[in-house]
Amino acid sequence: MGRYILKRLLVAIPMVLGMTLLTFILMQITPGNFLDTIRMDPQVSEETIGHYQKMYQLDKPMFQQYIHWVYNLFHLEFGYSFYFNIPVAKVIAGRLFNTFVLSLASFLFTWMIAIPLGIWAALHRNRWIDRCIQFFSFICLSLPSFLLALVFLFLASQTNFLPLGGMHGPDFENMNFFVRSMDFLKHLIIPTLALSIGSIAALQKIMRGNMLDVLSQQYILAARAKGLPEDRVIYWHALRNAINPLVTLLGYEFSGLLSGAALIEIICSWPGLGSLMLTAVRSKDIYLVMANMLMGGVLFIIGNLLADVLLAKLDPRIRYDKKH
Amino acid sequence: MNPKRIPNQPLLKILQIPNSFWGSLFCKNIIGFFILFLSWAAFLPLSTAENTHPFRYGGKLVLTTTSDPKSFNEIIAKEVSTSEITAYLFEGLTRVNAVDLKVEPHLARSWKISPDGLTWIFHLRRDVKWFDGFQFNADDVVFTFNELIYNLNIPTSSRDIFTINGQTPKVEKIDDFTVKFTLQSKFAPFLWVMSQPILPKHKLEKTVTERKFNFTWGIDTDPREIIGTGPYKLAKYVPGQQIILERNPLYWRKSVDGDQLPYINKIIYLIVQSADVELLKFLEGSIDYYVLRGMDFSLLKPLEKNDDFTIYDMGPSSSSNFITFNLNPGINPKTNKPFVDPIKLSWFSKLEFRQAVAHVIDKQKIIEIVKNKLGYPQSSAMTEGAGFFNNTNVVQYDYDLTKAKELLQKAGFIDRNQDGILEDSQGHDIEFNLYTNADNTERVDIAAIIRHDLEKLGMKINFQPLEFNILVSKLNSTFEWEAIVLGLTGGVEPHFGRNVWASTGQLHLWYPKQTTPATSWEKRLDEIFDLGVQELDENKRKVFYDEFQAIVAEKLPLIYTVLSAKLSAVRNKFENLNPTNFGGVFHNLEEIYIKKEYR
Repeated sequence: MGRYILKRLLVAIPMVLGMTLLTFILMQITPGNFLDTIRMDPQVSEETIGHYQKMYQLDKPMFQQYIHWVYNLFHLEFGYSFYFNIPVAKVIAGRLFNTFVLSLASFLFTWMIAIPLGIWAALHRNRWIDRCIQFFSFICLSLPSFLLALVFLFLASQTNFLPLGGMHGPDFENMNFFVRSMDFLKHLIIPTLALSIGSIAALQKIMRGNMLDVLSQQYILAARAKGLPEDRVIYWHALRNAINPLVTLLGYEFSGLLSGAALIEIICSWPGLGSLMLTAVRSKDIYLVMANMLMGGVLFIIGNLLADVLLAKLDPRIRYDKKH
Repeated sequence: MNPKRIPNQPLLKILQIPNSFWGSLFCKNIIGFFILFLSWAAFLPLSTAENTHPFRYGGKLVLTTTSDPKSFNEIIAKEVSTSEITAYLFEGLTRVNAVDLKVEPHLARSWKISPDGLTWIFHLRRDVKWFDGFQFNADDVVFTFNELIYNLNIPTSSRDIFTINGQTPKVEKIDDFTVKFTLQSKFAPFLWVMSQPILPKHKLEKTVTERKFNFTWGIDTDPREIIGTGPYKLAKYVPGQQIILERNPLYWRKSVDGDQLPYINKIIYLIVQSADVELLKFLEGSIDYYVLRGMDFSLLKPLEKNDDFTIYDMGPSSSSNFITFNLNPGINPKTNKPFVDPIKLSWFSKLEFRQAVAHVIDKQKIIEIVKNKLGYPQSSAMTEGAGFFNNTNVVQYDYDLTKAKELLQKAGFIDRNQDGILEDSQGHDIEFNLYTNADNTERVDIAAIIRHDLEKLGMKINFQPLEFNILVSKLNSTFEWEAIVLGLTGGVEPHFGRNVWASTGQLHLWYPKQTTPATSWEKRLDEIFDLGVQELDENKRKVFYDEFQAIVAEKLPLIYTVLSAKLSAVRNKFENLNPTNFGGVFHNLEEIYIKKEYR
């Protein structure tokens, strides 16, 4: 197993570099650059734009810029953000936690609701409760999350029950730890709900499908036939097999933990990475985009690897080391 | 959210305790109470004793901004989200009075100009202190110019503003409170540009010698390190969330009756990216100010009384929207093809063609549909907001399809084969591409209306909204476009539009960076901008710039459409408001105070 992991990690290095190179080329060959907004200002001369170009090293050949970036990367420097005028690492660090908290909250919320809901629906297949769940799932799946967020915010503004966006209340600094945490949780509710509802609907459907699949298998019949208690049949034999495919999904979810949700973040004024990256891409803040791609790529690879390893632990049919 | 009256208790009167205090006292714990009390005590003004209106002090103003500041370095970063904040921190020798648009003394208490108009001597105020208590003096002014603005290692557009005919004014210290500026040629907007903020030498000198200035005072700086002279200082910045500014207790300005300014204790900017959420927040009462979009008016107007706010109409904005045609006869050196198809160039170059287009722009319809009836037609290059320099007496083009058809016919554009599309004299169909930037939805709507009307004339328009970056690279480097609907922000001082109007300018959109003026009227525009900047008599200057506006309206290099109305909703908690077109609602913020019952 150790060899397998090492191999996967070694393969990942050229993969990540290739991905950053593609990103870099895409950012460079699409028309325009960071200085376009400054260019449209009637009071700025061309010499000044030239000076800015020099300061950001945009006047050098494209591949020289990339190699320079990779060189710095091995010294753990991720470049300078044009937009914020400070190192990229500092820009991202300021937002990392916010995005992580929101993603984690919605991840936990989604899985903790969706899995039991899917199982329950499968066990009550085609009864009215199952039909209700499936009906509402379809509605939730077809509602875009940003619309949900706006509706929630509107309701909040009508009832004054929850705060309207942001991460903290205005008097944040003057609160003690307990009040501060409560305030933070209150702010977390709307974006978490908006992010989770669609995923709950989707995940619930997958779980239900898997469960139904497994319940119709011969070995379940065999287990019942030999007189095992129904609880043990379902929660020991059926569930273990039904949840297997979801482990792969878990790996993907892991990579999404830090990528942020731009639309929800914008609407809920949540200072996360998603909205930051949207601004970065649109204003062509190359190195900020590159650093984010790098982070996303690394997480994706780790997430996939974790899923594969977990799968091997859970499913005796899967073995990575050839031992005959 | 209306505050209830507090029972009249003497203690309350003295401490000026806000109503929300009592709510929090009863529902939160003792520690919360203690912290609130302490923080309140910290906000009490320091020098109430000498002020004639001690009860005007305190309270906070809550605003929103759509994006984070890029930096707190005023010299490096100039875009709106940055200057919105730095404007509170730093001040210039002069400033523009937002009511009458005249330049008035600020950090300089007076100035003298030599008879030849080339030497300006500024006498500085002696009572100005930096946030850290250091005395502001002539060294700071000389430093800001000689070491920062004129420093070629620092990229700044301030240098462009002070570059007059390729040369920058010489700046010398006469004594601690006197500075001399020597110009090489006369420069009419000199006092205007002297509103350039001054930065502290004692704080920044080292960063310049170490060549670190370009990355100094970035957004990761400790707020206490950012030193200015302005009415507010930076207290806290939380990226993506809020910016908090605090009253500068050392501020030099006093009100007419001797009050130490400013009155308001704190300014809080919430960073809210979505305008819809901003509106919800305003309706909920958590922010004090909201800039209306056209569509908000019908929603907000009926709520004015009940929700305790007022909508102020400050007249037309200065952001224009216009359509322009590519008149660039140049050839792309890479592909050896002309930037614009010579056949199309010949249409666009015909004045009758552009006049016909001007006649089919239905400004009333645009105002009604796009601006929700809240807009103003624009016909001069200097908008109404420019005040003195606005020339209303220019050629007007009414919406008149018959007249447009006549003009086109006269120029040889006739539907010869009866297929509904006009042809030129050689039989080419009149067909061209119209671009605009897709991120500006109002502009896309305007372009769609223009397109609709042009098609009524028998032109075939391929309308395509583009990403802003792509549009700019077309305008600036590839020059491959035919017609564009675009906007530029205008100003009060006509000379600052020189890059657009002079034929050598890189923003001379229709044919930038000309070596010699292509037409006689462009030659005249060049002359006007060269003469106008040298003329120190305002009335004589106006004659020049009136002529410039008349030429633009006659020759139509840019065909103007409409301006939005500047509308803001403000909660009724302020006294001394005096909204103006130029300065907006809070231009006199130092003098504004919060009514007792709202504090």
